[in-house]
Amino acid sequence: DDDWQEAHERLAELEDKPVASREQDGPSTEDLDLLGDPEDTLAERLTRLVIDSELEDPAIMQAVQTRGPTQQPGGLNSSIWDSSAVLRRMRGPLLTQEMPSVSVLDYALPQRPPQPRDDERDPSERALPRRSSSPVIGSPPVRAVPIGTPPKQAAVPSFNQQILCPKPVHIRATLQQRYPAPYGERMSPNQLCNVPNSSLLGHPFPHSVSPVLTHLQRAQLLGGAQAGRMSPSQFARVSGLVGSPIPSVNPKLLQGRVGQMMPPASGFRAFFGAPPAPPPSQLQHPPGPGSHLQSLRPQPQMFRPDTTHLHPQHRRLLHQRQQQSRSQHRSLNGSIGDRGGHRSSHQEQMRKDPYANLMLQREKDWVSKIQMMQLQSTDPYLDDYYYQNYFQKLEKLSAAEEVHGDGPKKERTKLITPQVAKLEHTYKPVQFEGSLGKLTVSSVNNPRKMIDAVVTSRSEDDETKEKQVRDKRRQTLVTIEKTYSLLLDVEDYERRYLLSLEGERPALMGERKQKICDMYDNLRGKAPGQDRPSDDHFMQIMCIRKGKRLVARILPFLSPEQAADVLMATARNLPFLIKKDAQDEVLPCLLRPFSHVLYHLPLGTVTSLVQQLTNLPQSAPAPTNLHLTAVLQNKFGLSLLYLVLSRGEELQSSDTNTELMQDNQWTELMLMATRELLRIPQAALAKPVSTPSNLLSLFSRYVDQQKLNLLETKL
Amino acid sequence: MNYMPGTASLIQDIDKKHLVLLRDGRTLIGYLRSIDQFANLVLHQTVERIHVGKKYGDIPRGIFVVRGENVVLLGEIDLEKESDTPLQQVSIEEILEEQRVEQQAKQESEKLKVQALKERGLCIPRADTLDEY
Repeated sequence: DDDWQEAHERLAELEDKPVASREQDGPSTEDLDLLGDPEDTLAERLTRLVIDSELEDPAIMQAVQTRGPTQQPGGLNSSIWDSSAVLRRMRGPLLTQEMPSVSVLDYALPQRPPQPRDDERDPSERALPRRSSSPVIGSPPVRAVPIGTPPKQAAVPSFNQQILCPKPVHIRATLQQRYPAPYGERMSPNQLCNVPNSSLLGHPFPHSVSPVLTHLQRAQLLGGAQAGRMSPSQFARVSGLVGSPIPSVNPKLLQGRVGQMMPPASGFRAFFGAPPAPPPSQLQHPPGPGSHLQSLRPQPQMFRPDTTHLHPQHRRLLHQRQQQSRSQHRSLNGSIGDRGGHRSSHQEQMRKDPYANLMLQREKDWVSKIQMMQLQSTDPYLDDYYYQNYFQKLEKLSAAEEVHGDGPKKERTKLITPQVAKLEHTYKPVQFEGSLGKLTVSSVNNPRKMIDAVVTSRSEDDETKEKQVRDKRRQTLVTIEKTYSLLLDVEDYERRYLLSLEGERPALMGERKQKICDMYDNLRGKAPGQDRPSDDHFMQIMCIRKGKRLVARILPFLSPEQAADVLMATARNLPFLIKKDAQDEVLPCLLRPFSHVLYHLPLGTVTSLVQQLTNLPQSAPAPTNLHLTAVLQNKFGLSLLYLVLSRGEELQSSDTNTELMQDNQWTELMLMATRELLRIPQAALAKPVSTPSNLLSLFSRYVDQQKLNLLETKL
Repeated sequence: MNYMPGTASLIQDIDKKHLVLLRDGRTLIGYLRSIDQFANLVLHQTVERIHVGKKYGDIPRGIFVVRGENVVLLGEIDLEKESDTPLQQVSIEEILEEQRVEQQAKQESEKLKVQALKERGLCIPRADTLDEY
């Protein structure tokens, strides 16, 4: 049962072999001798590796002996031909058997004295039992290597499979087969940053959406990893290629080869295409040799659509490190030649800490791989929204910096969270033929119903008033939440628009419009008739802090009529809202969207707005205008009033052909408003957020100089 | 050589001396030999260090395998600065005695507190399920 121990030791030796061969340091002569020794043993080992005649190989002889008698042809006539046939058969095992390079070297290594180790090194016991071997009924067959298992052997990458695929058309297409670009033709992601810009001129969304290349887009343009064949050209400099003009994207870039490191899955599935890439000849600045290590940009690649497999980008990272560490070892080997008491850090390590490197490099890589796998997700914007935004901000910053600065461009490795395609599992429970009924199995993918939960609605009669109020409030809260989800979706449409195919865009726009309508309906309540008789629903929403913020965010998306409607409702009920907002003081957040809305309103609407706000003319003659007072005494109310007045003034002064009717109405209103303003003591006036500059000119039309001065002091 | 920039990983910490604080309040010091994806740790030549006031005592424990969820925090010990501490090392017996005394004092003050609260009609439930530290 010491096999695993030996195997592990051998593997450890294998990795340490070049370094461990120089055990000591000392004066030069000793070193030379040491050099001689390991070289000799190395030579011995090498000779043992190459066995000229099969008949000398003990392993083969053993194998042959076990099989020999059964394979003897004829038996009676032994001739040279027989022996050659035997030889051929003996050669069989060598040829047919794919002996991993590890095992050959194992034979060649001399037995090392086992290093004193207290702890158990048991990789096989550390591994979880393979899922594929355990009896699994009711779960889909596991095709991938279970995550709990570290690789038993050194993973020999066999990147012989090249799958060229048809040119991908677009990113979010249905599950089409797309493959990443081959190595030489890859573009830097920075080049690709400009792609969305060019291809999306004249899209309906405001240009506030930054043309940041999504991970997906980058994914198609940079191909899958073949860990063994990394070329510096595939890594682009973070810095170097910002702003380089890219007219179009070359389809060839999107063809790729995908290496298979893991046991093959059932086939490649969904990938995302990209807008066509520029021809490879337009590739700019082949990055410098040393830069590839640092300049790993977020370039998620096309690759296996399974989240259990490591993204090629990450895999490449891993192997890079491996190679780096190996080359470090090798360089250390060579350095022992030059003298001067030069100690390698590794030697020191070996001397002071004989327990070092108990954790093998590949075990470290394995942990690292798991960590990288955890970064993969099917929708990074959903799973990891804040990091994505933060990352984009960082990139924009560094891009901006590079544009300004002329110095050597800093290259930083950045952590990427690649996007994986969703793997569609169509799971059907196991069925046996010829049996009646199905197996009763319950697994994580196919749970059994345990509880029969029945929803019983409460009767309306025995509810107290309090409960009703509470329920109503709860319903409002639910409405707010639903509308918020719609809002987030609508806000996300810009991004999706950039990513989508041309054909899909109308559908997207339609969806978006529909959602906006739904939002508005939610806000105002589904009116039974044409007219919206009650603002009740809207008021309920506005009483809640989140509701107010929701309205502020929705307003930019609404049509002018709808937005005006909202404004009116707010103005009409402003005192009530002010009272309710006393604690939260969230109303001012509405000012900005309201002011935007105001820009688009005609004079008629503005007039009626002022009417609503000031409650003039008063329906019933009252000594005081409570409505207006309340409005004036509140920061938001006063600011809104000023905004509306200023807009009215703008319209009046700019548009010379205003209708007479409206003019009269406006004038009357202004007269009354100014009268009220004059009446109110200054102390009672709230402090507005901003005082528009044209108010004075507004008032100057309607009042004489004396009163104007008075007003001026009040403002 | 950072595998994943901007992230925290224990891989860089392997074979270095660490101080590990566990959820039950113990402090372990040892060489981190191996980790896994759950941050389970294998500590080598581990020493449990008990701190009481300005004194501390070390109990050699050998090899520890710590389940990741029980670790509060861990950090690398700078070997050069390790001896540069104002704390005074004492023998194991002494530190255990000190610890016992401290525990007793704490229990008594806790009892007094509970008593006082009880007299005033208040009751603070003891969160037994939370970590002791």
